[in-house]
Amino acid sequence: MADKKKILVVDDEADVLTYLTTLFEDNGYETVSAVDGVEGFNVAKKEMPDLISLDITMPNQSGVRTYRQYKEDADLKDVPVIVVTAAGDPMRRFLKKLHMFPEPEGFINKPIDEEALIKMVAELIGQ
Amino acid sequence: MTTSVDIRNWIKNNFFDVAPMAISVIDTDFNIVYANNKFERMFGEWKNRKCHLAYKNSDSLCINCKGREAFSDGTSKVNEEVGHDKNGRFTRYLQHTIPVKNDKGEFAFLIEISIDITESDRIRKEHQLLFDQVPCNIMLINREFRITKTNKKIREMFGNLEGQYCFESLKGLDQKCKDCPAHLTFLDGRTHTGHSVVQDLEGQPIDLHVTTVPMDIENGNVDLVMEMGVDITQTLKLEDELKIAYSFMESMIAASLDAIIAIDEKANVTIFNQAARNIFNVSKHKQITMDELRTMLPEGFLEQISSGQGHVYFPEIEVETLKGDLVPVRLTGIQVIIGDTRRGMAISIQDLREIIQLEKDNLEAERLAAVGQTVAGLAHGVKNLITGLDGGMYMLNSGLRKSEAERIGQGLEMLTRNIKRISIFVKEFLSFSKGREIRVEPSDPLAIAKEVVDMYAPEADKLGIRLTFKKKGKIKRAPIDYDGLHECLTNLVGNAIDACKMSDNDERHVIVKAFESKEVIVYEVVDDGCGMDYEVKQKVFTTFFTTKGLGGTGLGLLTTKKIVQEHGGVIEVDSTLDKGTTFRIKLPRKRLPKPVGD
Repeated sequence: MADKKKILVVDDEADVLTYLTTLFEDNGYETVSAVDGVEGFNVAKKEMPDLISLDITMPNQSGVRTYRQYKEDADLKDVPVIVVTAAGDPMRRFLKKLHMFPEPEGFINKPIDEEALIKMVAELIGQ
Repeated sequence: MTTSVDIRNWIKNNFFDVAPMAISVIDTDFNIVYANNKFERMFGEWKNRKCHLAYKNSDSLCINCKGREAFSDGTSKVNEEVGHDKNGRFTRYLQHTIPVKNDKGEFAFLIEISIDITESDRIRKEHQLLFDQVPCNIMLINREFRITKTNKKIREMFGNLEGQYCFESLKGLDQKCKDCPAHLTFLDGRTHTGHSVVQDLEGQPIDLHVTTVPMDIENGNVDLVMEMGVDITQTLKLEDELKIAYSFMESMIAASLDAIIAIDEKANVTIFNQAARNIFNVSKHKQITMDELRTMLPEGFLEQISSGQGHVYFPEIEVETLKGDLVPVRLTGIQVIIGDTRRGMAISIQDLREIIQLEKDNLEAERLAAVGQTVAGLAHGVKNLITGLDGGMYMLNSGLRKSEAERIGQGLEMLTRNIKRISIFVKEFLSFSKGREIRVEPSDPLAIAKEVVDMYAPEADKLGIRLTFKKKGKIKRAPIDYDGLHECLTNLVGNAIDACKMSDNDERHVIVKAFESKEVIVYEVVDDGCGMDYEVKQKVFTTFFTTKGLGGTGLGLLTTKKIVQEHGGVIEVDSTLDKGTTFRIKLPRKRLPKPVGD
């Protein structure tokens, strides 16, 4: 169990942060967290996570802009991002239409289907 | 010599009977003793008759018998008489009565010569009647332009003008008119016409259409001209009024925003104005036929007009352009009846495309704002809440499974917190969705802003935020829901203070401005707080969108927007991330609602 995979959870809701970090940790991952977009980018640069779980509707820079930052960053652009949002399918379509960027590697609607999320994470970065 | 004897004989033997006048010889007892052929033809049988019986069918002597006078004074008389002809009809005749002496030198006989003037008298009377009663002015003018005779109509209008110069008496000029038609008739002996403005007895101008005809022509020279004038004052006035009314109507039709179409009694399309061309997509000079019009209008519409009374009205119906496109319109038609005669139809068409589009846009906007945003926001908010609850449940369950007291406690806390949030949301959402009807009363727009600023002053002071109120000029009272607008400004100022709280600047300001410009009341709430990025700006008026975590419900700005819209106003936002935000409420006076009880 030397190298646990590291997941960055970005969400402005403290309860969601608690929920997701606990869920990931219970499934054998190491977690770091950030409460808004700006922090989400800074923490990612510093921690270099294996995967990022990203909320969209956040103060202090939304998830959309943060996602762009990730994909524009040489170090982070290959880190898979799962967008976890309550914004639903319109947001998913919106993200798909951004020509300059690939669509996010994963998209999970809130309320969260725990099994689907864990399965998606495992597929992207392994156990 | 022989000749004169012959003539004398001829006169003696024949003259009496060939003479073209009735001749009778009467004795002192007024018996007719001799009469000629003409007499017999005029008055009939004469033998053994008294003169009064023959002439006048009377049994007694005439009251003013000229024969008796002639017998007594021995002089000839001439008199106009009325008698009866042989058929009993009145007859007029001019009678010469000549007394004749017998051998004894006594006046023993009368010779009466009667000339029938029945016909000429009738003509003369007719002429006089015509001259006086004809509905135009007639006068005779001599070469000096003096009026020699006028008819009754002229006397009534202008008084007695006979003997006066026509130009002087009718127009007050001292010489004949420049374009005198009488003058032309004197010159060339022909009929001339002209237009003349004269003044009647009351000094009112009268327009006359004048015709001059030559009357007495001697040796090729016209000595007298008959001038006939027809009063056309009323006609000209009517003509002018008609012209004005017509051009007025024409301009109205041309400028009308509604299509106007007219059809005459022969089913010709006589009016098809520009608005009609716009609706039906018809080029400017194309003449529209009745058949084409029939295809444009709803089936049976024209028949309905021509069969019915009053207006035929369709508040919303479709008409068809020549290209077959359907256009929604409001349609009215009426039959034009003048007197009892059908003179055609008039149709008016209002193009509803723009109105329908506006209504659609409005509905769409309202639907999006009220339903779309609310539902989308509601879903978003609810999903977040559920996620929070899910999180609490996960913590609780996994804590129970692992017997981790701390995790169980954390889970219970999360559940409690999110349930509390749900109750706040539900309460606020209910109050928002129920809303309240605004009640506008004449209010002082400045006082509202002042009150909100005063209310927040202690809190701002405590936070080290400089909250100021700036008013520019005066604002007249306006029909505003005082409490509603108070709530709007409370929301905006509250937000501005929150934005400042999130800013790291040492100096932070919130400025509330109120002023009126071009009949628009404007409120601005300006802060130099944290500002908003693009995504946040896009969502500020969305239900449940909040950047404040548990501190906000996301309903404040939506409520503010709703109240502003109910006042006919708009709310705008300018914001730059890290620089600050300005919210602006604009209330155009002419769109403000009517005060209650107005």
